[in-house]
Amino acid sequence: MSGENAPVPDSQSTFGERYEVITASPLSEFSTRGGDAFAVKSRDKSAGDCYALVHHPSVPVRNEVYKTLHSKPIANLICPIERGLMNLSFEGKKVQRLVTIFGRPTGGALMGLDGKLNPRVNANRLRQNVALSILKAITALHKRGFMHRSIMPTNVYFSTPNSDEVVLGECYSMPPGYMQPFAMEPLDLAMADGTARGVGDVESDYYQMGATMQSLYFGEQLWRGRDRDSMLMARVNQGSFWALSGGREIPGALGGLIRGLTADENEERWGAEDVLDWFEGVGKPKRTTMRAWTMNRPTNFKGVAVVDRRLLAHAFARDPAEAAGFLKSIDFTSWVQMSFRDEILTDRLESLLNVKPDSGFGGMRSDDYKMVTRVCMFLHPTGPIHFKGYSFFLDGIPAMVAEAFSRDDREVLSMVVDLLDAKFLQLIGEICEIQGFKLGAQLGELRRVMPFASSKQLGKGMERVLYEMNPILPCVSQRFSNVWIGSIIQLMRALERIAGAGTTRNILLDRHLAAFCATHGMELEREFNNLAAAQHNPAKFNSLSMNFFGLLQQRCKMEALPNLTSKLVDGLAPAVKGLKNKKRREQVQIALDKSKKSGDIARISAEVNMIKVQAEDAREFAQARTLVSRLERERKKLLKKVLPNDPEAKRMGLRGSRMIALAGLVLVSFLTFF
Amino acid sequence: MAKRKKSPGIPKRRRPPSEASGFAPLLLIGLTALALFSIDAAIIMVIGIVPTIVLGFTGKGEHKAERLQCVGFSNVGGVIPFIPQAMSRGWEFMIGDIINIVLMFGSAAIGYALVYVGPMVAAFILQGLNQDRLKKIAQQRQALVDAWSHEVLGDKEDEAVPAQTGFIRKQN
Repeated sequence: MSGENAPVPDSQSTFGERYEVITASPLSEFSTRGGDAFAVKSRDKSAGDCYALVHHPSVPVRNEVYKTLHSKPIANLICPIERGLMNLSFEGKKVQRLVTIFGRPTGGALMGLDGKLNPRVNANRLRQNVALSILKAITALHKRGFMHRSIMPTNVYFSTPNSDEVVLGECYSMPPGYMQPFAMEPLDLAMADGTARGVGDVESDYYQMGATMQSLYFGEQLWRGRDRDSMLMARVNQGSFWALSGGREIPGALGGLIRGLTADENEERWGAEDVLDWFEGVGKPKRTTMRAWTMNRPTNFKGVAVVDRRLLAHAFARDPAEAAGFLKSIDFTSWVQMSFRDEILTDRLESLLNVKPDSGFGGMRSDDYKMVTRVCMFLHPTGPIHFKGYSFFLDGIPAMVAEAFSRDDREVLSMVVDLLDAKFLQLIGEICEIQGFKLGAQLGELRRVMPFASSKQLGKGMERVLYEMNPILPCVSQRFSNVWIGSIIQLMRALERIAGAGTTRNILLDRHLAAFCATHGMELEREFNNLAAAQHNPAKFNSLSMNFFGLLQQRCKMEALPNLTSKLVDGLAPAVKGLKNKKRREQVQIALDKSKKSGDIARISAEVNMIKVQAEDAREFAQARTLVSRLERERKKLLKKVLPNDPEAKRMGLRGSRMIALAGLVLVSFLTFF
Repeated sequence: MAKRKKSPGIPKRRRPPSEASGFAPLLLIGLTALALFSIDAAIIMVIGIVPTIVLGFTGKGEHKAERLQCVGFSNVGGVIPFIPQAMSRGWEFMIGDIINIVLMFGSAAIGYALVYVGPMVAAFILQGLNQDRLKKIAQQRQALVDAWSHEVLGDKEDEAVPAQTGFIRKQN
């Protein structure tokens, strides 16, 4: 396959003409996992301070969040002003990227990326301004049905150098909770991998608010310098507040607020009302939950005695092979009865978990991973799904898949293929449901993409899953690494530029391109099936490519694409040459040459339906061959010398003689008697 | 129950389809009618068509009917001119002259000659017709080659080139 990259458009977009992104002036304090921030100059002088975020193509943005904030900005939150495609130059390399312009707070971040606290931050401001501003921002966002999930000390800014007003950083450029530090996520979400934490809930924003304020209070990046396992152990055993503070108390009312916000159980964690009550000085009794994660008896796994079932699920998840061996070696029913005396292992739950003793064949079977997942789900139903060494929430899979594609991590993709098994996910859902949690909506979303995951067909497979789950993601094919392809129209224009610069041969065999087209185009499966079937027949493949692009051009009502048309017509040369009938060949060539310059692929494919022409030619050629062989047989027969003894000659000769004899008889009789 | 084995038996010999000829019955009816009309005429007819009767009994092989009819028509044609004389003078008078017998049997010989010459003439005519048909076939073949190239004949154009140029490999 030709690996030619799509060139960047020659002319700057209208959006690009309105804003000038100064790539030499990066603003790292506003950069996120989803994009790099730069200073920007607006041609429109009335626009206030703003910065530009140049998005990374491999990280899906939260489009719904953009729409709501663009149409109606929220106070105390950095909101997008405008977005569009723009040609940019990085180190001399020209690229086309999606750029979002945000209103820029000028007062600086409350905590720098280097961990340096803004000198204006103190306990008093935290209490009076920061808490209230963050609360305002997130409650407004929650009212619109969105979570922020990127509340960090480095993502909160003073709106101006002199103002006490605080604004929360943007949350649209990356999926919720994407790559957030372990300590800054509520415990259940934190246990999932950084790319797959899912949308989360309202309470998770309050946790992040509390953790942010704690970090600001101590003036430290509390998530740094601690390894994940020790932090998890500390959070589970001591609670997140104490684990983060390292045993240091926060005195006064602020301590009460942060303790309430960083409570590990959702039921115990403070919400908007609690924070407002706190502002008014109303003391509320501490809420407690009945949930107990402690087992009645410690379980010894890999030489460590584990008492907390969440930690046990985590330990199983880290080493599924060892966990499978462990589960098969014990009497599971007795183990559950001994370890969880308050719970009753019903027959139904037991059959769902389906932990079978070791059959003696040894080795890890693929089903064993699923068994470990089921048991982990039983141990920690509010936590992530642990499967094949990965931990994730179902609504975090889209971001996980996107990230896996950006690193070309085939292991994660193969894990997702195995995961997308309706029966298995149904079992997990039932195990959660028995314990009082529902996965319904998330399962429904996954069911839609299940038929594509394991397919090897063009336009399907994990590439299709990627684009179906992340409809806002641009086409991430290597061919389009320089440009941003967010729609079929942009794709066609990029192909036009590729055609102008080089070759488009076999471009439709690019799995990303095919999956992108299949996702964003309507009912193209049949076309892709035909293309896949014809990939070893260049003549037919090129004819089908012509039809395919003609269809897209027609559907998108696009302008003329002369370069692409020319390349497609050139690509038809083998097909035309392959036509057996000379006259037809000449007619088709004339018709193609005539319409080549028009750039109207749809018209060419309508006028010269190569597939039909090829089929007709093949059929008539077969008829001609039959006729030739019949003529040849006849010729051979006729070339033989006809002898009087030949049956035909004999028969005809005798009949002729008889006729003559009869004629003679009649004549003689007539002459005799008349 | 075990199935009874079929005995191989003697294969039935198929008779060749008999060449139906209405000539013999027609001749018999004609003779009977002639006898009712004139016994002399009938006798002279029977004597005159002896070669045909002999052929009817001895003739074998393919196209027996055609040969019999050819000889028969020719023979009857040779006897008919003598019928009026036989009716007026009697059959004895007629066979008394050997020339009459020779003429009657000679007409049968003409029939035999026709049987011999007919296929030769037919072969000559058919040969001529075949030549015309061959010309037409060549034209049709050429039209197909013009429309579809040599590939339609089942061989590649490239392969035909060395044969046409008569390339001869030099022996070192």
